Amino acid sequence: MVTQREEVVTAITAEDRVALTDSLHRLLSDTSSETDVRRTMETPSGYDPELWRQLAEMGVVGLIVEEAYGGAGAGPVELERVMEEAGASLLCAPLLSSGVLAAGLLQALDDEAAKTRLLPAIADGSRIATVALTGAKGGWTAADVAVSAEARGDNAWALNGVASFVTDGRSADVILVIARQLDELAVFEIEPSAGGVTVKALSTFDHTRRLAEISFDAAPARRLATTGPVWTAVETALDLARIALAGDEAGGARRALEMTVDYAKTRAQFGRLIGSFQAIKHMAADLLLESESAISAARNAATRLADGAPDAAAAIALASFACADAYSQITATAIQMHGGIAFTWAHPAHLYLRRARADAQLFGASAHYRERYLKELGA
Amino acid sequence: MADGATLTDDALRAEVRAWLAANWKPLPARPAGPGGAGWTTTQEHQAWLAKVVDARWAAPRWPVEWYGRALPDDQARIVEREFAAIGAPGTGQDRTNLWANTALAYATPSFKTRIVPALLKGEVGMCLLYSEPGAGSDLAGIRTKAERQGDHFVVNGQKVWTSGAATADYGMLIARTDWDVPKHRGISFFFCPMKQPGIEVRPLRQITDESHFNEVFLTDVIVPEENLLGPLNAGWGVLQTALAYERSVMGDNARGPRSGVAESTEEEPLIALAREAGVLGDPLIRQEIAKAIAWRKLNALNNARAKADLGQGTSSSIMSLGKLAMSRILHEEARVRTLILGAGSLLEGKDYPRAEDANFLTLNAYFTSIGGGTDQIQRNIIGERVLGLPKEPEVDRDVPFRQVRGN
Repeated sequence: MVTQREEVVTAITAEDRVALTDSLHRLLSDTSSETDVRRTMETPSGYDPELWRQLAEMGVVGLIVEEAYGGAGAGPVELERVMEEAGASLLCAPLLSSGVLAAGLLQALDDEAAKTRLLPAIADGSRIATVALTGAKGGWTAADVAVSAEARGDNAWALNGVASFVTDGRSADVILVIARQLDELAVFEIEPSAGGVTVKALSTFDHTRRLAEISFDAAPARRLATTGPVWTAVETALDLARIALAGDEAGGARRALEMTVDYAKTRAQFGRLIGSFQAIKHMAADLLLESESAISAARNAATRLADGAPDAAAAIALASFACADAYSQITATAIQMHGGIAFTWAHPAHLYLRRARADAQLFGASAHYRERYLKELGA
Repeated sequence: MADGATLTDDALRAEVRAWLAANWKPLPARPAGPGGAGWTTTQEHQAWLAKVVDARWAAPRWPVEWYGRALPDDQARIVEREFAAIGAPGTGQDRTNLWANTALAYATPSFKTRIVPALLKGEVGMCLLYSEPGAGSDLAGIRTKAERQGDHFVVNGQKVWTSGAATADYGMLIARTDWDVPKHRGISFFFCPMKQPGIEVRPLRQITDESHFNEVFLTDVIVPEENLLGPLNAGWGVLQTALAYERSVMGDNARGPRSGVAESTEEEPLIALAREAGVLGDPLIRQEIAKAIAWRKLNALNNARAKADLGQGTSSSIMSLGKLAMSRILHEEARVRTLILGAGSLLEGKDYPRAEDANFLTLNAYFTSIGGGTDQIQRNIIGERVLGLPKEPEVDRDVPFRQVRGN
C-alpha cells in the first residue's frame, strides 16, 4: 500500500540514468556471465564480494540511499531500470536485501541515529543488511510477523521467535527485524553475532537467491524509533522492493525470450530452422506480448510511485502479479521451445525458470496481488 | 493562400481559427446505414466538406496543386487540433481518407482529376472488394478475374466481407489479370463502378445476428481502363499502400452495449457487473476479473510506451502486438462476463440486457480475432517481422498461379 506520497527528489537526470544502466550492463556482461553466475551460486555466501564492491563503487548498492547518507539519491524509476539489468544477468548479490529492503525501511523510519550509523555502510557496500519480517508461512502482511519483543529495562529489548524466508540472511551483518511488542509492531536492529540469534541457511530451489531462517531466543536488540505507524514504513520499503522485483522479473523475462528466439534461429530439424515452424513461432509471438507487458507494468509502477500518483498502489499491485506471471510463463515455455537441450543442467534455461518461480513467491503470490489490485480499484 | 514553408505555427493557428469562426456551423447527425453500417451522408455534411476542400483545409499535407498546402506534419496537426476542438469534420484527410490517398498515389491522371475532389467532398460512397470465399488469410490467392476488352476490363468473380456495398458508388477491387505468373505478380487494382447491372449485393447474416457485411457477386462487370490504379499486374503493391492507410486509421471500434441499457461509468465494467450480479465477493470470480482488467490496462501501457518510443524516433516492436492483445482482451472479457452471469447467460433479448451484452460480446470477439488478419496470421507477422524468425516455406510463392493447388 502506498502511503507516503511526498515528491521524491531525485538527484539523477535522464542522461545519468541511461549512463548508469549502460555501465551496469557492461559490468554485468563482464562479471555476471552464465559462468560467473554458476560459480557464485555454488559458494556458501552466494555472492561475489569483488563484484559487490564494484556495484557499490558504481552507485548501484546505494542507489536509493539519500545523498546525505552517502547514496546516489535515486528513486524508483532508476531502481527499476537497474533491476532489469540485474534480472537479465541473474545477478547473485544481496542488492534487494541490503540496497532496497533495508535501506528503504531505514529511510521510512525516523531514527536519525540508526540512519547515520547504518546507511553510509549499506551504501558503500561495507555492511550488508536485510529485513526479517515473515514467519513460516512466508506471507508479507502484518499478520505474518512471528517474532515478539519484550522490554528488558531501560531501552533494552529481547526478541523471541522465528523469522523465515529472510533474504540473504546468512550474508547479512545487520538484521532489521519486524517484531510484535504487546499489541503493536516495531522494528529492531540486531547483529547475527548477538547472543540468542541462530541463522540457518535454507536450501533454496533458486540457487541465485539466498534465504535463511533466523531464530531468536531472548536475543538483545535495539529498537528503532519512528513517529508514524511502523507498518506504513514497512509498506513503503516493500513497495520499493516490489518494484525492484518487478524490474528483475521483466529484465529476466526479456533475456530468457531473447535466448529462446536466438536458439530457434539456429536449431534445425526436418531440414528447417525450428523458428520457421508455426508451432514455435506462435509461442514466441505470444511470449513477446508477455515480455513487453511485463516491462510496461514494471516501468509504469516505478513512474507512478515516483510521481506520487494516487493510483501508485494499484500500479504496484498490477506489476507485482503481471511481471511474476509473465516471467514464470516465459521461462517455463522457453524450456519447452528449446527441447531436450534445456532439460540438461548445463543449459541456462532452468536457472531462469528457478529465479522466476522464486520471484513469483518472494513477497506474496500473484493471487494475493490480484486481490490487492481489485481492492485498489474499489472492488 | 498560405505558404507552408514560411508560415509560423501561430499565424497558421490564427488563420484556421478565423476561417472556422467565419464558416463553421454544427451539422445534423448522419443516419446509420443499412444494418447499422455503411456509407451515409447528408446535404449539410457534403456542403461543409466542399467548403473545407475549397479552402484547402481537407488535406493540408498534400501538394498545392492537389487541394493541399504542402504543410509539414506538425503544422497539419495544428489544423487538425483546431478542427477537433470545435467538433468540425473534414480536415486531416491526407492521413485518414483511405480512398483519396490511394487514388492520389496511383490513379490515372484523367480519373484522378475527377475522383479525388469527389472523395474529399464525400460525394461518392466507397467499399472494399478484397476478400473472397477462397482467399481470406491468403489474400494473394484471389480468383476474381479481370480481362481487358478494348478500352475496358470485364470482371467476373465473387467478393465477401464488403461493408457498405449496397450504397457504394465505387469499390476498391483487386482482381487477377495474369494467371501465368506467381500469385502476387498477376493482380491488378481498380476503382470498380458499383452502380451497374452485373453487381449483385447479398447481405451476410453474422453469428451476432447483425448484418454489417455483404457478399458481392460480379458478373461481366465493366471497369473503364482509366480506373486501373498503378500498372497492370502491379496491384499487390497498390494494395499494400491501401492496407497501410486502413491500419493507420483503424480505431478501437468503441460502441455502446448491444442491449442499449447503460452500464456504470463510475467503475470498471466487470466490477460493476459483478457487483450488480451479487458475486463481487466470490474469490474465484475476483481473480478472473483482476486478470481481465489487467490485460486491458497492460495493453494501454504497451501502447503508451510504443507511442513514446516513436516520439523519440526509435521504432517500437510493440506496435504490432496491439491487435493480438486486443483479441485476447475481448475474448477474455466476454468469458468473465459469462462467468459472472452464470445461468443468466442462458437468456437473450431485451428483457435480459446483461445476458444479451455478454453473449453478443462472446460472439463479436471473433470480429477482432479473425477480421483484419487472424490471430494466427498476426503471430506469423510478429514472429517474422518483429522477432526475425525465418519464414514458413511457401509452396506457391514462385509457381504460376494457374498451377497452384485449388485452381
